[in-house]
Amino acid sequence: MSRILVVDDESSIRLLYSHELADEGYEVITVATADEAVEALQKDEFDLILLDIKLKNESGLDLLQKIVKERHSLPVILCSAFSCYKDDFSAWLADGYVVKSADLQELKNEVRKVLEKKAARSAPKKPG
Amino acid sequence: MQSECCWTKEVITPDECHSISADEAHLYTSLERRFLTKCIDCPLFVRDQERLTEEGSPAAPLLRVLLAEIKRNKSKLSTMVDFLDSRNLEIQFLHEIVTVLQTSLELDEVLSVALTAITAGKGFGMNRAFLLLTDKDRTILKGYMGVGPKDFQEAWEIWEEISRDDLSLREMATQFHQTKFSAEKNKFHDILERLTFPMSNEGHILVRSLNERRSILVRDALHHPEVDPSLAETIGVDTFLILPLISRNRRIGVILADNFITRKPITQQDMSFMETLTFPVAFAIERASLYERLHEDLEKLSVANTKLHEQQELIVRMEKLALLGKITSSIAHSIRNPLTVIGGFARSLLKNITENDPKREPLENIVQKTKQLEDVLSEVLGYADSVFPAIDEWDVNQMVETISRELQKKTEGSGITITLALAPNLPLIYLDYRQIAYCIKKILINSIKAMMPPGEVYLETRLVDDCIIVEIRDTVLIPEREAHEAFLDPGMTGLDDSGDMELSFCRVILENYSKSFTVERYAGIGSRYLLELSLKKEGP
Repeated sequence: MSRILVVDDESSIRLLYSHELADEGYEVITVATADEAVEALQKDEFDLILLDIKLKNESGLDLLQKIVKERHSLPVILCSAFSCYKDDFSAWLADGYVVKSADLQELKNEVRKVLEKKAARSAPKKPG
Repeated sequence: MQSECCWTKEVITPDECHSISADEAHLYTSLERRFLTKCIDCPLFVRDQERLTEEGSPAAPLLRVLLAEIKRNKSKLSTMVDFLDSRNLEIQFLHEIVTVLQTSLELDEVLSVALTAITAGKGFGMNRAFLLLTDKDRTILKGYMGVGPKDFQEAWEIWEEISRDDLSLREMATQFHQTKFSAEKNKFHDILERLTFPMSNEGHILVRSLNERRSILVRDALHHPEVDPSLAETIGVDTFLILPLISRNRRIGVILADNFITRKPITQQDMSFMETLTFPVAFAIERASLYERLHEDLEKLSVANTKLHEQQELIVRMEKLALLGKITSSIAHSIRNPLTVIGGFARSLLKNITENDPKREPLENIVQKTKQLEDVLSEVLGYADSVFPAIDEWDVNQMVETISRELQKKTEGSGITITLALAPNLPLIYLDYRQIAYCIKKILINSIKAMMPPGEVYLETRLVDDCIIVEIRDTVLIPEREAHEAFLDPGMTGLDDSGDMELSFCRVILENYSKSFTVERYAGIGSRYLLELSLKKEGP
C-alpha cells in the first residue's frame, strides 16, 4: 500500500484528501505545516507528497526545494488554489501540479500516474 | 521802346495779359512769377526781344543767354518732377505690396500678391511670371506657380476684365487667390513640371542668379552662351528677367518674368524696379513657410498630446485593473478552498448513497453549484493573473507550441484542426510570457468556440525586420462571430459575462504589451489577428 503525506494548512482539505485517497486504497498521513512535514519525513517513509503552496506563513515551494535536495527520489505533487504558479520555475521541480477542485478525479489520476512512474523507476531492471 | 508784352511792368491789369487764367490772379502783382511762367513763352515777349536785337540794345544778347538758361533749367526741373512723380508712384506701390504681404501668413496668398504685383498693369506690368521655389533641403529648384495669359486671346480678356473692374492691387490679389489660384497653377502645369533644376547644377542661369544673389536680364536666350536654350524653349520667349528671392541668407527661389504677349522690351530700369520687390516677397514667403511648418508642428504636437493623454488614461486604467486583479485573486483564493471542501465532501457522500435516497438531490445540487462556482473562479483568476507583468526572455515558438498542444487535446475529434507554421531559429524575445500566452490562448479558444466544424485555426510565426509576428487565422464566419464581437469593443463588454470580459482584457493587454495588435475580419473567409512583438526590450 502506497503511503501519501498530505501537507495543507486547511484542516478540512486535509480531511477531504485523507478520506478520498484512503477510499482509493492509499495510506494517508496529514500535516499542517512545513516543520511537521519535515518531522514526518524524518520519522517515516513515504511514496508521495501532496503539497499545498500557500501554507500559513510559509511557502510550499521552499519546502519543495528542501525535499528535492534531501530526498531526491521522493515524488511531490503540488496542490494549489492558484493556477499561476504553474509558470513559476520553482514549481517545475514538482512531479505534478493540480489546481484544487471539488472534483478530485484529476488529483487521483495525477497521484496514480506519479506513483506508477515511481514504481517503474524503482523496479529492478531485467537483464538485457 | 514800347513793349508789347507786360514783362516790364511790376503790376498789370487783366486786360494787359490774356494768358493768365482766373485762378492765376496772383500773377498780376508778381513780375518774377509772371515772367517765369507766362512771359517767357509769350509771342509778344518774343517780338519785344526781336525788336531789342534790331535796335541794337546791349541787353539783347544778355537776355538771350539768360532766357536759354532759364528754359534749360525749367526743362531739367520738369524732368526731375516727372522722375520724382514716378518714384513716388513706385514707393506708393511698394508700400501697398509690403502692407499686403505683411498681413499675409498663408503661402498661396503671399504668392498671389507677389505674382499679381508683377503682372498687373498697376504694378510692374509684365505679361507673365513664374515662381520657382527651392525644396526644404535646398537641393532642387522647382516650378511652383505661373501667372499670366497663355495666348493673346486670353490676354485680351484679362486686360478687358482689369480695366472694367478697376480693382486695387490688394483686391486683385485677393480675387486671384480666391478664384484663380488653382486654375493658374493647372494652366501652367506642363511648363512648371519642366522647370525643375538641381541646385548642384551651379552653371545653370537660374541657380547662378540665386547663388550670386543678383538679378539677370536675359536677352536672346537661344544664342546666349550662358543660358541653356531649353529654358527659353520651355517658357517660349528669349527675353526674360530672373529675380532671385533671398531671405536672411536663405535661398528661397527665383521669379522668372517676361513679356510673352506684347514682346515689349525689358529694360534695366524695369529690372531695378522689380528688384525692390524681391526682398519683401522672399521674406513673406519664408515667413509663410515657417508659419505653415509651425502649424504642422502644432498639429503633430496636438496629436502627440492626445496620445499622451490616452496613454495616461490607459496607465491609470491598467493600474486600476492590476489592483482589481490583486483583490480578485485574493478573494478567489479564499473562496476556492472552501468550495473544494464543500464540493469534495458532497461528491464523497454521493458515492455512498442509493439512487432513491432523499439526500441525493440536494447533494447533487451542491456538486453542480460548486462546479459552476469553480468555473467562474477559474475565469476570474485567469485574468487576474494576467495583469501582473513579468517580462523575461522567451522563445515565441515554444510559447505558441505549448498553447497549441494544450488546445489540440481539447479539440481532438471535434473536426477543428490547429495548424502550426513556425519560422525556424527565431531569436529569444523579451515578453511577459504569462500575459501574452494567456491572450493568445483566449483568442484561440474564442475562435474554436465560435467555429462551426469543420474548421481550421492557423498559427504562424515569422521574423520581419526587428519584430516577431504572431499571426492567427481562423475560419469563423461573420454571423458566427457576432456573438463574440465584444472582443472588438472592450468598452461595450457586459460585466456579467466573464468570457467577454476576458477578451476585452486581452485586447487591452496585447495592445499595450506589443508593438501593435490588429484584428481583421474578412466576410465569408474568417478573421486574422496580427501580433507584432518587438525584439527590443520594451515594457508597456
